[in-house]
Amino acid sequence: MVFARVVLLRALWASATLLIVSFIIFSAIEILPGDIAARVLGRYATEEMKAEFRRMRGLDRPMYVRYGEWLYGVVQGDFGDSLVSEFNVGEVILPKLKNTFLLALYAFILYIPFSIILGSLSAVFREGAVDTFLSTLTLIGLSIPEFVMGTLFAFIFGVVLGAFPVVVAINMAQSFGEAVRMMTLPAVTLAIAMAVYAIRMLRDNLIEVLDSDYVRMAILKGVPLPRVVLRHALPNALVPALNVTALNLAYLIGGVVVVEKVFAFPGIGTLLIDSVFLRDAPVVEGCALIISAVYILANLFADVMTVVLNPRLRTAR
Amino acid sequence: MEQNGPLIEIRDLTVEYWQGDRWNPVVENLSLHINPAETLGLVGESGCGKSTTANALLGYRPRSARYRSGHVFFGGQDLLRLSDSALQRIRGRQISFVPQNPTTALSPGIHVGDQIVEALMVHHYSKTAHEARERALDLLTRVGLPNASTIFKRYPHQLSGGQQQRVIIAMALACDPQLIVLDEPTTGLDVTTQAQILDLLMDLQSSYGLAMLYVTHNLGVVAQICTRIGVMYAGQIVEVAPRNVIFKQPLHPYTQGLIASVPRITAPAQLRSLLLRGLLKRDELPAGCPFAPRCGFAQEVCFTQSQHLVEVGRDHAVACWRWQEIPSLAQRLAETQSVAFRQCERPSCQPDEVLLKVENLGAAYTVQQRHLFARPIPRLIVDGVSFDIRPGETFALVGESGSGKSTIARALNGFIPYVTGNLRFDGQYDLTIPVDKRTRNLLRELQLVFQNPDASLNPRQRISQIIGRPLQMFFGLSGAALRRRVEELLEDVRLDRRYYDRFPDELSGGERQRVAIARALAAEPKLMLCDEVLSALDVSVQANIIELLAELQAKRNVAYLFISHDLAVVRSLAHRVGVLYWGALCEVGTTEEVFSPPFHPYTYLLLSAVPEADPDQVMPEARKDIGLIISEDKPACPFALRCPWKSASHCNDEPPPWQTLSRTHMLRCHIPVEELRQHDVWTDRFKRA
Repeated sequence: MVFARVVLLRALWASATLLIVSFIIFSAIEILPGDIAARVLGRYATEEMKAEFRRMRGLDRPMYVRYGEWLYGVVQGDFGDSLVSEFNVGEVILPKLKNTFLLALYAFILYIPFSIILGSLSAVFREGAVDTFLSTLTLIGLSIPEFVMGTLFAFIFGVVLGAFPVVVAINMAQSFGEAVRMMTLPAVTLAIAMAVYAIRMLRDNLIEVLDSDYVRMAILKGVPLPRVVLRHALPNALVPALNVTALNLAYLIGGVVVVEKVFAFPGIGTLLIDSVFLRDAPVVEGCALIISAVYILANLFADVMTVVLNPRLRTAR
Repeated sequence: MEQNGPLIEIRDLTVEYWQGDRWNPVVENLSLHINPAETLGLVGESGCGKSTTANALLGYRPRSARYRSGHVFFGGQDLLRLSDSALQRIRGRQISFVPQNPTTALSPGIHVGDQIVEALMVHHYSKTAHEARERALDLLTRVGLPNASTIFKRYPHQLSGGQQQRVIIAMALACDPQLIVLDEPTTGLDVTTQAQILDLLMDLQSSYGLAMLYVTHNLGVVAQICTRIGVMYAGQIVEVAPRNVIFKQPLHPYTQGLIASVPRITAPAQLRSLLLRGLLKRDELPAGCPFAPRCGFAQEVCFTQSQHLVEVGRDHAVACWRWQEIPSLAQRLAETQSVAFRQCERPSCQPDEVLLKVENLGAAYTVQQRHLFARPIPRLIVDGVSFDIRPGETFALVGESGSGKSTIARALNGFIPYVTGNLRFDGQYDLTIPVDKRTRNLLRELQLVFQNPDASLNPRQRISQIIGRPLQMFFGLSGAALRRRVEELLEDVRLDRRYYDRFPDELSGGERQRVAIARALAAEPKLMLCDEVLSALDVSVQANIIELLAELQAKRNVAYLFISHDLAVVRSLAHRVGVLYWGALCEVGTTEEVFSPPFHPYTYLLLSAVPEADPDQVMPEARKDIGLIISEDKPACPFALRCPWKSASHCNDEPPPWQTLSRTHMLRCHIPVEELRQHDVWTDRFKRA
């Protein structure tokens, strides 16, 4: 009952947030400099031709009319047609979204155990050699931008060692195994970029929990250390790390843009960048809205998980 | 193992803590043993190393501590030299631990029953998970949680403090240990809950023949539960003896001071010649006896040469150079200089003059809503409370936690969102208005002192700024005049002028509370609300602050609303007392009247639950008490569900009448006064149960 109420309230807030975001996206693209007519028709198009193009695409009407129309479509799952290719935006985005989703999933699967194991090791052996080493490593990870890291990986593992392809032509993959191999370098890059935050976060949380009374109690009741960490400490340390993970999850979908570009990965990030270049407003809007939705959903998910992991929020007194 | 020697023995233990730049000894050359089936009490002021010693019995040390030297022998092994896995097999199996705060000691995300099962499983005490579950249920029943299967499936936050501590005790008993180490196990609990836990422990003692180490600062508790008592000071044992010897013939001046400082509920008028002076200052210890700077009998030798424990009688050892002369010296001191512990004489005000009049106070923090569209109704924490306070008097509110004491103080301060009733202060002010709408003069006349001075003093302000702020704000003082006034106030609360430029964290807890009092006094209030102001302090510090408060009251004619769960403190300080249960008053009267028969059943219960620092007194009625009950529907008499003397069925249905016993004494109960008069807690206390 309490739980359902919390979820429902959060879901309502999430929808409201998404609505506001949709308006901001639409207006932002509206004030973006550059003329789609000039882009599509080329440099030698006359003013009449451009006006005719705008009239045909309905671009000459006031913004609020177009926003209302767009929103009405979006609610029904129709994001409009691409101004450039005239395909429906949904058809343009969907395959790319699928690719990005696969990449994100792969990165996420690497990220979770990676951060939990390293974060726990760091905390349990705090101020020891392992901790110092990991702290240094994560600090380096934090200070290198992911495109540098990606390029570095591409160079070392792709060019020098030749172990993984540098350009990820995922659509050409013949088998699942090959697809996985192709995606490994971008996925690892993403996983590391996310994990460095999470490891530090988890370490600090876990140290705090390891100093708590209930962990001391578990030790004094004769529970072996690995069990103390896994059963008593970790579940309580994960709660705050979850919010970082939610932000990371969103970063995965949104922030992949750069990493996708480095590996020429045909995902939503690459599509977004290309569409911005072309001033293809409906595609940009579609991509941006989807990325925002994922972001909001990820946070909703983290909120719900916090409640699930914390019985104090889940059960009435 | 089953020989005649001690069960566990600490020998020459020195433990040091890393304090920023160097290792500081917290326990020094301490030797101690516990015999099978005995309960050894370890008492002393905060910071004396009691808990560190308790930890050593489990071979445990916090990260910042190290064992410099010494041994802890248990079953032929030295616990301080065992591997982690060997210790794991002993902890929880042969020696178990009960911590101070059960709320934080239970894992928040695991059902409490499973936490007991875990203890059974890691030690392979139970063969199967099913067997472990059965045993856990059995243990829960045995520690006084009758609905064990419901409790089993609860999370810690769904239990009350008393229930949580029972779960911990069940966990400690799980694998039939030989020794239980209890580190202040009842300190955070209400007196009534404490009485129940003590009763449970005494029960376990007699039925299992367990040995216990009971660490506490509460001398009343050790008087009730321990067979032998060790007194610790500055990391050393200064005296150890059987219970009766410690309380009847204490030899060490520190033991005497400690016992004299405990506010007594049965005998509020005490000699204060032996009261402890000063504080334990770790960094100013002399080369000799650590207690010498605070000792009234110290001689030169005490400062220069340390004295080790010497046997002075059967089972009685003391570390004092002058132990042979102390009894006669103390006797002489008591005869010549003794001043009676301040008796509460009636204040010199007109009895009809009223400073604060509270009529029918109701207070709520939240509203409750039955369903989405229902009209919200305030969820009343306090309901229909009426009392008044006269100028210059101390009115105390007592009751268990959850009774609404602090809510009343907050309501008077305007911090409660929903307040009803008639609150008139100083004839002109209406206290139902929230704090942000109050006039400056009203704010000035009504000042607050909080329980925890660490949290109520801004750590980034100097003492002068803290005390000076109200002076600037209310009286516009500045410059030399401000400084002079702050120094006067420091003097009033008996703090040295040198504290002027210090920060709160350079002061001890008692000194900080003095600063908080000085800050409140700076505003020259007519009424000070003191919410558990003594609870966080050591007994010796408590005694001094009680005296200070009384002295300041006499000097400035300020009235106190004194909120406390400590009945002994209330008895030695308050003029009048209101007893609060479940948001309603059940008895109001002068301290003498409330503390003598006829008692309201709840007052009786509270008084009988107080463990006295006197081994001859027991807690009579507390053993049968079932504890605080807060349920959805409140009976007409809130106390009906728990009342030990309840006879009439109309207790549940009809609100009890206020029976007037004197002009000042009223109690609210269906039972006729004559019947109530038959129960006398003071004579009952001396009848051994």
